[in-house]
Amino acid sequence: MFYLENLLFIIGSLLLVICVLVSVAFLTMFERKVLGYIQIRKGPNKVGIMGIPQPFCDAIKLFTKEQTYPLLSNYISYYFSPIFSLFLSLLVWMCMPLFIKLFSFNLGLLFFLCCTSLGVYTVMIAGWSSNSNYALLGGLRAVAQTISYEVSLALVLLSFIFLIGGYNMLMFYKYQLFIWFLFLMFPMALVWFSISLAETNRTPFDFAEGESELVSGFNIEYSSGGFALIFLAEYASILFMSMLFCVMFLGCDVFSFSFYLKLTFVSFMFIWVRGTLPRFRYDKLMYLAWKSFLPFSLNFLLFFVGFKIFLLYLL
Amino acid sequence: MFSILTISSILLLISMVIMLLASILSKKTIVDREKASPFECGFDPKSSSRLPFSLRFFLITIIFLIFDVEIALILPIILIIKFSNIMCWTITSIIFILILLLGLYHEWNQGMLNWSN
Amino acid sequence: MSLTMKLFSITRNGNRMLGVTSRFMSTKEAKDIVDVPKGYVYVNNKEESMDLNDVTDRAASTIFLAELMRGFGVTLAHIFKEPATINYPFEKGPLSPRFRGEHALRRYPSGEERCIACKLCEAICPAQAITIEAEERADGSRRTTRYDIDMTKCIYCGFCQEACPVDAIVEGPNFEFSTETHEELLYNKEKLLSNGDKWESEIASNLQADHLYR
Repeated sequence: MFYLENLLFIIGSLLLVICVLVSVAFLTMFERKVLGYIQIRKGPNKVGIMGIPQPFCDAIKLFTKEQTYPLLSNYISYYFSPIFSLFLSLLVWMCMPLFIKLFSFNLGLLFFLCCTSLGVYTVMIAGWSSNSNYALLGGLRAVAQTISYEVSLALVLLSFIFLIGGYNMLMFYKYQLFIWFLFLMFPMALVWFSISLAETNRTPFDFAEGESELVSGFNIEYSSGGFALIFLAEYASILFMSMLFCVMFLGCDVFSFSFYLKLTFVSFMFIWVRGTLPRFRYDKLMYLAWKSFLPFSLNFLLFFVGFKIFLLYLL
Repeated sequence: MFSILTISSILLLISMVIMLLASILSKKTIVDREKASPFECGFDPKSSSRLPFSLRFFLITIIFLIFDVEIALILPIILIIKFSNIMCWTITSIIFILILLLGLYHEWNQGMLNWSN
Repeated sequence: MSLTMKLFSITRNGNRMLGVTSRFMSTKEAKDIVDVPKGYVYVNNKEESMDLNDVTDRAASTIFLAELMRGFGVTLAHIFKEPATINYPFEKGPLSPRFRGEHALRRYPSGEERCIACKLCEAICPAQAITIEAEERADGSRRTTRYDIDMTKCIYCGFCQEACPVDAIVEGPNFEFSTETHEELLYNKEKLLSNGDKWESEIASNLQADHLYR
């Protein structure tokens, strides 16, 4: 019985991960299509029907490209950091809340915080072990940005945790039965969305890559499989962040179909932002994190502690 | 516990298999010294990339460290609300967050958060 | 659809709808503050009005992220616009009658080649891509024995076409003549004449359309 139970957990999680990988492939496709239509062009439409098999062709192309062996690199860490990066962004999906068959941790939000914090290390090690000036600089930029926003991310998350009184993501469902948190705390939602843009290194905060004006960042020495894995990891984390946005603000009704529609819409928002906004300036990015989002989230944290006590007093 | 460990190892295995697949499939070409040198506009790198050190980024990391430790201290506050005297809990948590906030404003005031001096 | 078009038009005319006039201070207004030399235009921003009305307006547009939202509206409206992409090998964009593409040597309707080997095109060619050798033919007329154009040297300036007194060498409407080797782009007389035969109808109609301006 024990083994059967575990087997079910494992099969469920594996299915989830495979679906995530497939949806990552189609997210890249979706992004190219949407960006194309925003720029009054069509995007990929030649492969198969309406270009739908395009991501698979991209994957085949990427994987058959030549792999480089940078002379000065620390090859083991250079080779393993993309693997670890993909591993982390798949592992973070394990805290997806479902009533049955998935893990639904009691401390799911804590698990999420741990995994995102670990994500910084893969970027840092990838940048450092390439042993190229550009890769190192790109790694520094990306790490400084990610850790700056991580503080605000944790604090915004904490004010929600104060409100729902626990780390279990399913609590979000119970507390949003009657009204979504999006309406209850709209400014928080905007800030959370910007923070998740910065955490996943998306435009307008894409200083990790910045391919149009800087030399590509920490991944400059990567080709073929390493690059593909970093790419997969980034898009998987974008999908996870959209999922978390839906959990936190849009009702968290994970068992209904509309949850996945909302998830798609939030990932569309990520792409929409990319199609609209120009890149930020680096010092302004830092000011935004430390002088705007951090005081904001701390003040709101204080407010929510008071609010929680007020609620307890009412009860 | 058993199943989460199993699934983590399976996920690690998946990622490694993908990387290995790329290593096997990738087009084999002659290893060239120029190709294997670090990317730098066709030159050999003049300076070592391990030497440069930015104090600005280091300071950001220090500030981050402080705040992250404080967050780690806030984390259990939420759970112990069920087991503690509500008055003590209120005062502790509010004073704690106030100290964090005032510390941030102090750093701001001292110019610690300025990116360029 | 009509809603999105409406949204689009609002975002386009947002400035006017929000009642904001020109952001720049006119020279006349600036004269009160600073001495503007004659013939110069003052282009600095206007002092922002501090009426309660205007301050409230500005505050509202900041709080409701008006500019950001307008930007998002513009991109959203663009998604529903007709894409400018054309399905290239099957659809092609319009070409001007003056388009300067692949060269061709024309013939008279009788089948006689037009070129009289005056070598004006060779002389005017700025890239020196044209090489001509001439000889008297058996019937006594002056014709070329060799007419080569190095298409990899040619800069498609159209001077040869302008210089030609008998409209023999022309640049036709064809722009799809890429090859896999360099040698295939060294055109000789035979190739140029066959181009002329192939594209004669298009070339003739283009010349006809443009004859008033030549």
